[in-house]
Amino acid sequence: MSKKLKRSLLFWLFLSPIVVVILFPYAVMAISSLKSATEVLNPTWWPEELHWQNFPEMWRTSGIAPALVNSLYVSGMSTALTILVSIPAAYALSRYQFAGRNAFRQFLLISQMLSPIVLVIGLFRLVAGAGMIDSLNVLVIIYTAFNIAFCVWMLQSYFSTIPRDLEEAAWMEGASRTRTLFTVFLPLAVPAMVVTAIFTFINAWNEFVIALTMLRTEGSYTLPIRVFSLVAGRYTVDWHYVMAAAFVASVPVAILFAWLQRYLVRGLSIGAVK
Amino acid sequence: MQRASVPYFLILPSFLLTAAIILWPLKEIVSLSLHDVNRFGMLKDFIGLEHYRSLFANPDFIAATWRTLFWTAAVVIGTLIVSVPIALILNEDFYGRGIARILIMLPWAISLTMTAIVWRWALNGESGMLNSALRDLGIIDTNIQWLAEASTAFPMQILIGILVSVPFTVTIFLGGLSSVPEDLYEAAATEGAGRWDQFRLITLPLLKPFINIAFVLNTIYVFNSFPIIWATTQGGPANSTDILVTYLYKTAFRMGRLGEAAAVSLIMFAILIVFTILYVRLAMREEKQ
Repeated sequence: MSKKLKRSLLFWLFLSPIVVVILFPYAVMAISSLKSATEVLNPTWWPEELHWQNFPEMWRTSGIAPALVNSLYVSGMSTALTILVSIPAAYALSRYQFAGRNAFRQFLLISQMLSPIVLVIGLFRLVAGAGMIDSLNVLVIIYTAFNIAFCVWMLQSYFSTIPRDLEEAAWMEGASRTRTLFTVFLPLAVPAMVVTAIFTFINAWNEFVIALTMLRTEGSYTLPIRVFSLVAGRYTVDWHYVMAAAFVASVPVAILFAWLQRYLVRGLSIGAVK
Repeated sequence: MQRASVPYFLILPSFLLTAAIILWPLKEIVSLSLHDVNRFGMLKDFIGLEHYRSLFANPDFIAATWRTLFWTAAVVIGTLIVSVPIALILNEDFYGRGIARILIMLPWAISLTMTAIVWRWALNGESGMLNSALRDLGIIDTNIQWLAEASTAFPMQILIGILVSVPFTVTIFLGGLSSVPEDLYEAAATEGAGRWDQFRLITLPLLKPFINIAFVLNTIYVFNSFPIIWATTQGGPANSTDILVTYLYKTAFRMGRLGEAAAVSLIMFAILIVFTILYVRLAMREEKQ
């Protein structure tokens, strides 16, 4: 047996307990989503009959389609807005010395500690006072505000690794500062922007407590709230539909994530050192 | 435009947005916590610290506070202990490493709410697949009603908390490990250092800043984590799995006691600040040595 094969077996043996525990709930989800309404109450590992019709039935009855659209809208808009606002701030922090620079950084750090849940009552009062309960755009603004600190921090540490010489060379050639920014600097920063964008998107996609508080009518629910509402406060729960809904809500992001995770590791390793 | 004003102009949008969404509600919460408030959020008389006094006289609140500290410590320390060996393994070259990485990272990509809802089903007493799996393995012979009492529900919630915190932590560690130069190990090997010595003398010290980052960020996240407990037990039965965030949510939106809930918010914020200051002090003292 080659050395690498032996090592691989040993490592997989080590990892197998944690892999089993991690996969367990998702296996339960996939299996339960394919059982019939009566069989789902039986904890068997393999359904007698694969009920694929659970998915179209769930799609029709659970209102998950509008929730999917809402989630895509909120997450997409939050990501775009966060990146748009964070880039200039990160650029200022990495390229300028100015009075208040440290104060701004500390302000961002504190904003990270005040999580949405700690502020939820105050936010609810503000939003309710403005008559904007149920507005998805309010959600976009709140998610953006809570993601800015992390994005600025990540982008700034990446920006600092881009050598100044490149920009200075462009200035020497007579390019303006703005032009240099768009043609030289930002193209180099694309990897960091992609990583922070993924982060923001996943955060917004998965956010629970603010959406639970601010969204009161079914038409405005995002996915986590929609699926939660299928379970919470009900006397009977159609678990096979719930699991099918959870499956539909999870799989697209999981695939996207599996594909992008290598960039995530690389991006974080750059960001975290500074 | 004056050159000196450029950086201020650049940070202005992010500053205004963050300040509006954070400082404004904070001001609201401070004023709520100091006033008598009715169910509909109307401010009545100024009552000073009365809400705080009644909170500290409330055994449910005291129990939730201790439970939160235990919850945070258990999940964060558990996560760090599990994540270090996983990151070390995933940093080595072996067959199927790509798949192993994806599997370990999976809970990160799936909404915490979904994971918690699925666990709630898996932990169901009669129909739950955890019981049937444990029975098949011969570990138990009667079904356990996992979520029916705190003594079984809370450990499971901690386990879920650890599982969903591992991916982020491993990612940070992998980033740290990739910055360790290979030739250090080669040099150590030629000096006759074994694997354990290499780990103790090279890997661990170089990993330390990353362990610190993971420690602080996880502590903040776990302390504020809401969906796991809310989607599995909603803090029940009889408030026995409440942590401060679920206690806060119930007090505000179930019972409508907004003033008291605002006071809980500020107490949580105070705990986080004390913790952060302690941590920064410790980190600075270490750096000086």
